[in-house]
Amino acid sequence: MSSTKAPVITADGLSKAFGDVVALRDVSFAVGSGEVLGLLGPNGAGKTTAVKLLTTLCSIDAGSATVAGCDVASEPGAVRRAIGLAGQAAAVDEKLTGRENLELFARLYKLSRRQRRPRIDELLERFDMVAFADRPASTYSGGQRRRLDIVAALVANPLALFLDEPTAGLDPRSRAELWDVVRSLAAEGTAILLTTQNLDEADRLADEVLVIDRGHTVASGPPEVLKKDVGRDVLEVHVATNADLATAEAAIVQTAEAVIDRGARRIDIPIAAGAAQSLGLLRCLEDEGVRITDFQLRRPTLDDVFLALTGARPTGDGADTP
Amino acid sequence: MLWRDTIRTARQPEMLVFAVVMGVFFLVLFNYVFGGAIGAGAGIDYLQFLVPGVFVITALQGAQQTSMGFAADLAEGVTDRFRSLPMSQVAVIAGRTLGDAARNLVGLVLVALLAMLMGYRFDSAGGAIAAIGLTTAVGFAFSWMGAAIAAKIRQPDMVGMLSMFWLFPLMLASTAFTPADSMPGWLRPFANYQPISVAADAVRNLCEGTTDSGDLVLVLAWMIGLLVVFVPLSVRLYRSTE
Ligand SMILES: Nc1ncnc2c1ncn2[C@@H]1O[C@H](COP(=O)(O)OP(=O)(O)OP(=O)(O)O)[C@@H](O)[C@H]1O
Ligand SMILES: [Mg+2]
Repeated sequence: MSSTKAPVITADGLSKAFGDVVALRDVSFAVGSGEVLGLLGPNGAGKTTAVKLLTTLCSIDAGSATVAGCDVASEPGAVRRAIGLAGQAAAVDEKLTGRENLELFARLYKLSRRQRRPRIDELLERFDMVAFADRPASTYSGGQRRRLDIVAALVANPLALFLDEPTAGLDPRSRAELWDVVRSLAAEGTAILLTTQNLDEADRLADEVLVIDRGHTVASGPPEVLKKDVGRDVLEVHVATNADLATAEAAIVQTAEAVIDRGARRIDIPIAAGAAQSLGLLRCLEDEGVRITDFQLRRPTLDDVFLALTGARPTGDGADTP
Repeated sequence: MLWRDTIRTARQPEMLVFAVVMGVFFLVLFNYVFGGAIGAGAGIDYLQFLVPGVFVITALQGAQQTSMGFAADLAEGVTDRFRSLPMSQVAVIAGRTLGDAARNLVGLVLVALLAMLMGYRFDSAGGAIAAIGLTTAVGFAFSWMGAAIAAKIRQPDMVGMLSMFWLFPLMLASTAFTPADSMPGWLRPFANYQPISVAADAVRNLCEGTTDSGDLVLVLAWMIGLLVVFVPLSVRLYRSTE
């Protein structure tokens, strides 16, 4: 983390509304060289909107933003020269091969003929795309297309990289590979803003996480700090009947933070002390005669984060104005 | 940008085939089906009358292909990336319209060759080249209109349907296939001065070697008008993502 240098990406009071839908309200952050900012939020939170505002694809209603020291609103050309963008939907030319796609974007970034060839070969090599580089992109699997999409954003060595839900729809292996890519780019000094709906992903990659919901900042900070609030595992207990649910509720009444989902006959209990506490709780329920049909210990999900931070489930799809 | 559109065009020869087949369609259908009636009625050699009209219509079809192709481009997502690149945004559309103009040119030459096989005679080689050049230019101007419609609507199938609304009136209520004298009086002013008619008349003059600059001036005015309106408009519509 470099706190001495000026940040590469800054947002200050960024706001955007589409008609009467508030997509983003007063969001501020800064990403330095080599840092990764994770923008975490449910569907409709405003993640894509934030990316679009910063990459000059959308006009800013209020507030300001800079990339590489250039103002996004008044110097869009300079900003576009400094950024690489991989949007939520893959933006590659399906009729061209992977190599031709990179050639196209290299030309559009005005790389000289002499620079283009080695750069493209290097990228194909480094991101393990040689095997399918000469097939039309229309024949690619989802993961291959996604990778081409991200590599296309890297052609001109951007100072700032924007990745909108880069791992959505990838299998665990491709996802892990992509994480490595992000880490190595950050290690080389690229400032990266990535959006995700996945707490685990934000935790693994980001130096700083910004949680947003319906356009508003809900929480921000390094993942370790956020995890202090929400990082506990959750014991999920499913019971047989509503009567069991009532018994269980009475039995664990001292655990005030337990959340009871009556429809699913499920109890979520935050766990601070790992396996021992879980076993104790399960035994206690069993002693009370609660019929447990299933249970699991799981890592906190985005839902849990929101629960812990706001006391409510994410509202998502912010169609109504707050 | 042109580099991309050239590769894409070369990879889709069926588009060229389609353009040529449409031209041939009109040539053969109109000549053998309506040729007798219209030609005899107006007392002209219908094939000589028809061929320049078919040229212009082929170019207009090319503009329709631009419209549908560009809408498909916009739906594909790659244009989203173009918007974020440090490049002139006019180039995104110009690559397409120029690429389509090149395809049009090839198509027109093929249609001209077929017309000559059917017995059509140009006045001179120079006239033929000028006629095909002018037709390509007219098609180019119209393809910007097609691009603007595509940038506004963005759904390929809607764009395809909509194109019928401008294509057919321009095509049929024109002097491309029939002399204006045979049309009802109220239609004649439109049929005489709408761009496809003046284009067809100007191209006809070039083919026949007639020196009459009136239609040529009109068609140039139309082309400039179309470009002045639709080049900035299509870029603006294309840029807006809200
Ligand atoms: N062009 C638009 N016109 C109208 N409303 C829009 C437009 N773009 C986004 N919105 C609205 O703004 C809000 C935020 O949308 P945004 O796409 O930023 O969400 P997101 O966090 O990226 O969600 P997801 O996880 O589903 O991608 C949503 O309510 C959305 O409906
Ligand atoms: Mg999104």
